[in-house]
Amino acid sequence: MRGVGALLVTVPLLLALAGPWFVPDDRTRGGPFMPNSWLGTDFVGRDVWHQVLAGGRTVVLVALLATLLSYLVGVPWGVVAAMSRPRVVDDLLMRPLDLLLAVPSLLVLILTATIAGPGLPVLVGVVTLVNFPDVARIFRGAALEIAGRPALEAMRLQGESWWRTSIVYPGRSMVRTLAADSGVRLTGALYLVASASFLGVGVPPDAADWAVMVDRNRVGLFLQPWAVVVPAVLIVALSVGLNLVFDRALRAEARS
Amino acid sequence: MTPVVHVENLRAVAGGRALVDGVSFALSAGRVLALVGASGSGKTTTGLALLGEHAPGVAVSGRVAVTGRIGFVPQQPAAALNPVRRLGGVFREIAALHRGDPAELVATALRRARVPADLLRRYPHELSGGQQQRVVLAQSLVGDPAVLVADEPTTGQDPITRAEVVDELASVVAQGVALVLLTHDLDVVRALADEVVVLRSGRVVEAGATADVLDRPREPYTRALVAAQPRVTVPGDRPARRPRLELHGVTARHRATTVLRDVSLQVGAGECLAVVGRSGSGKTTLARCVVGLHPTFGGEVRLDGRPLPRSLRKRSRAELASVQYVFQDPRSSFDPHRTVLSQVARTAVRLRGSADATAEALAELAAVGLDEATATRRPAGLSGGELQRAALVRALLARPDVLVCDEITSGLDTLTQASLLDLLAALPCAVVLISHDLAVVARLADRVAVLHRGDLVEHGSAGDVLGLPTHPVTIGLLGRSMEGTEEKRT
Amino acid sequence: MSLRRYAVRRLAIGAVQVLAVVTVVFLLVQALPGDAAVALAGDNPDPRRIGEIRAAMGLDRPALDRFGSWLWGLAHGDLGVSLVSGRPVVAFLLDGLGPTLVLAVLALVLLVPLSVLLGVVAALREGGVVDRITTAITVGLHSIPEFALAVVLIALFGVHLRWLPPTAVGADLLAQPAVLVLPLVVLLARPVCSISRLVRAGMIDALASDHVRHARRLGIGAQRIRFAHALPNALAPAVQQVARTTDWLLGGVIVVEAVFVVPGLGTILVDAVAARDLPVVQGLAVVFAVTTVLVNLVADLIGFRLAPRSVAIA
Repeated sequence: MRGVGALLVTVPLLLALAGPWFVPDDRTRGGPFMPNSWLGTDFVGRDVWHQVLAGGRTVVLVALLATLLSYLVGVPWGVVAAMSRPRVVDDLLMRPLDLLLAVPSLLVLILTATIAGPGLPVLVGVVTLVNFPDVARIFRGAALEIAGRPALEAMRLQGESWWRTSIVYPGRSMVRTLAADSGVRLTGALYLVASASFLGVGVPPDAADWAVMVDRNRVGLFLQPWAVVVPAVLIVALSVGLNLVFDRALRAEARS
Repeated sequence: MTPVVHVENLRAVAGGRALVDGVSFALSAGRVLALVGASGSGKTTTGLALLGEHAPGVAVSGRVAVTGRIGFVPQQPAAALNPVRRLGGVFREIAALHRGDPAELVATALRRARVPADLLRRYPHELSGGQQQRVVLAQSLVGDPAVLVADEPTTGQDPITRAEVVDELASVVAQGVALVLLTHDLDVVRALADEVVVLRSGRVVEAGATADVLDRPREPYTRALVAAQPRVTVPGDRPARRPRLELHGVTARHRATTVLRDVSLQVGAGECLAVVGRSGSGKTTLARCVVGLHPTFGGEVRLDGRPLPRSLRKRSRAELASVQYVFQDPRSSFDPHRTVLSQVARTAVRLRGSADATAEALAELAAVGLDEATATRRPAGLSGGELQRAALVRALLARPDVLVCDEITSGLDTLTQASLLDLLAALPCAVVLISHDLAVVARLADRVAVLHRGDLVEHGSAGDVLGLPTHPVTIGLLGRSMEGTEEKRT
Repeated sequence: MSLRRYAVRRLAIGAVQVLAVVTVVFLLVQALPGDAAVALAGDNPDPRRIGEIRAAMGLDRPALDRFGSWLWGLAHGDLGVSLVSGRPVVAFLLDGLGPTLVLAVLALVLLVPLSVLLGVVAALREGGVVDRITTAITVGLHSIPEFALAVVLIALFGVHLRWLPPTAVGADLLAQPAVLVLPLVVLLARPVCSISRLVRAGMIDALASDHVRHARRLGIGAQRIRFAHALPNALAPAVQQVARTTDWLLGGVIVVEAVFVVPGLGTILVDAVAARDLPVVQGLAVVFAVTTVLVNLVADLIGFRLAPRSVAIA
């Protein structure tokens, strides 16, 4: 089982990140769903191989950016809520998030993306919006637990500096939480980005994007299955591979 | 009488190291044998061998013969009860394993352990700690075992609960059951055991009748063990000193419940004030109010006549240094990622601006028996007793006027506990000692305050409070622990 | 706290939650660019015509006013009529509820035994071959996008091998069970993984716990230890996840419905958002919020039974 995860990640990740550089500038269009080249053509007659090369970067980058943004917003949000002196601030910060969590995430996604119109920044923003309440909740819990630890109280009794008691010690303790959470968060973001693109949320309908390709080329599944199957398999491989790699890393960490 | 338990030349080896080496003993029905020793002495391994169990990777040899059934009373009853099962269902399951009418078997076991039958409808979390203990005992009694093995049955219990546990076990023994007691609590041994086997590093140091071994020990190790056991002795009065720390009408809550009500106390310079009470009486909250970790209390804490800010954040460095705290659980009070030395030394750096804090910390750690090789490890590399001494040094490096110690000896074995008490006795500063162990209190305290459900119910010189207690709780705490030391010796 | 008082308090909180969700959704739909009048006026919108349609629909009234009268209707069990077709919203919801319920119920009926079985078997063989294989599969399929998995399965079983119908277009779901196979497999992929992993972890913890060791010492047999003592403890954490899955299944599994062309609540939602059909979107939000509250309530009551201690403390 050792290399399976790594292999599953490497192929789609290399294609996604390096692929766009190998797409020729002068792309000719043929008829739709023709099997005339290696992987044939898509629903508007573009070469599927070129589309595959061009279409991974957005999926991967949007998922990465959205994960990063979820942490950038969610971690301070949760920590501030946990540490706030008037406890009302905690309620003010956390109650609205409970509400956001109670609305089905794809409903939020569809509505907000329709409001804001298409565009990659919108997609990043919407996936962040769906993801960050969970991050805030997890880190609020972690911060509350850390704040109550005798080790931290002992440091405060020693007159330790604000920097050490509020940043260094809690930061080091939260790295573990972050490590445990990041794998799940990234594959979760990948799931949302791909599903949203598939539903046509936040992306132009003819975009070079693996999820959009799956959606748009479905009508030609009987004529030219590669146009659908190749991007779908790439997304599956990326997701499964990321899961396996992160799980391995997490278990190795737990053993040490 | 023929013995029901016969152990001959028991050996247990793990990874080439002997955990138990040549242990032999025998026990008859209705008698009690105590296996005594510090942690790591092999008493638990021996107890498990009686049950026919051993930890993975341990090879057991020798002869273990038990006539009749053997039952086990585990150390923490709360953890031994399945949280999602009502008690009745589990009892019926156990009874079905034995011959006879199940309802009758359960009823008998409940009666013998003094468990009211209406508890059977409840879940374990709906019982008090004492009830859980009795339920676990009753479970082991279903099917009438010939032998019971009880693992540290009194560890971590307050004196009143401890006395109840001793009573229950004594009544079961009176019904003809042989009891093997694994413990480091010599009071319980004196109260219950007929014979004692003292273990050290898996070998029998000394064995014999309880009175012989504990009152006329032949081996130096046993002598040290007995000497280390604190006794309740009523101390003579020492003259009261000028008050240094004063509490005026301190009232504190946890959410909606009031845990301290209008408590006023004083501690003089160099004095030791012991705050005693059962678990949940508000002792720890009182300590946390004094040191600034429970900032929402009402009333006032004064040091040398000047009020101390309630919250740690608002205290100046001098004020922080003057009142220091030693936590109950030493392990959780250290950062696992940094060496003990670097953490201890920070007190001298931050609170006194010491130029060579590391050297100072090393010297003081050495004075309590922690050499440089030990101190430069991370907390995981130190034992509980070593960490507690390091925690004490961490607080003392601030050169405090008042040191607050919260149950710092509970969970330590007798010898480690004694060395820590010696350190405390030699301190020049005022000490507030939180404890439920009156033997510890009697050894150190000049004055004693008794808390009960958040109220200060008794307060005075140690001689008065321990010698002529007036409140039922004090009598309970004291009477039972005195009884523990007196019984069986006569 | 008694079970009943606990349930009543939770229901009261739930009602507030439903109201809040509905308000949020109303505000979000208000913020959508364009409205139903624009969508209805066709490709060549004439501003006067749009104005007329707006007036006829009451869209020219202030938002607060419309929200108020909508709430008033809700209190009387009236969810209004669709702006696009004029059909009562309730009729829309009932149409979509059928297929969604069929999928959800079948998925749940398969999900619970399957994931508990997988989790228990893996836990009992901890570290063995069976455990390693199930763990690798359940880890791998965690949060895999359904559409990608669905398309791969359709291409393989529906198009290449021709074993199963590729979509459910126009089919009566219950009369032709074959059309349900692929959607169910896709629906089950993620939840089976997450729940069986929780059961496995809970079972391993429970088997190593003090109370199970104590029960063994009391002489209770291996099968009873596994299923009457360890398993109930292992289920408590999984119940919350089953609740989340149920909520997700009832909330219209938008992607799966889209791939397999199932006319359930998810499809209705996508269509209604596209047409800015506010009353239908609002009605769906009410349904989603109510199911969320009810499902979580039921889960907590089961949790109360399975882990009486934790709820008593909270």
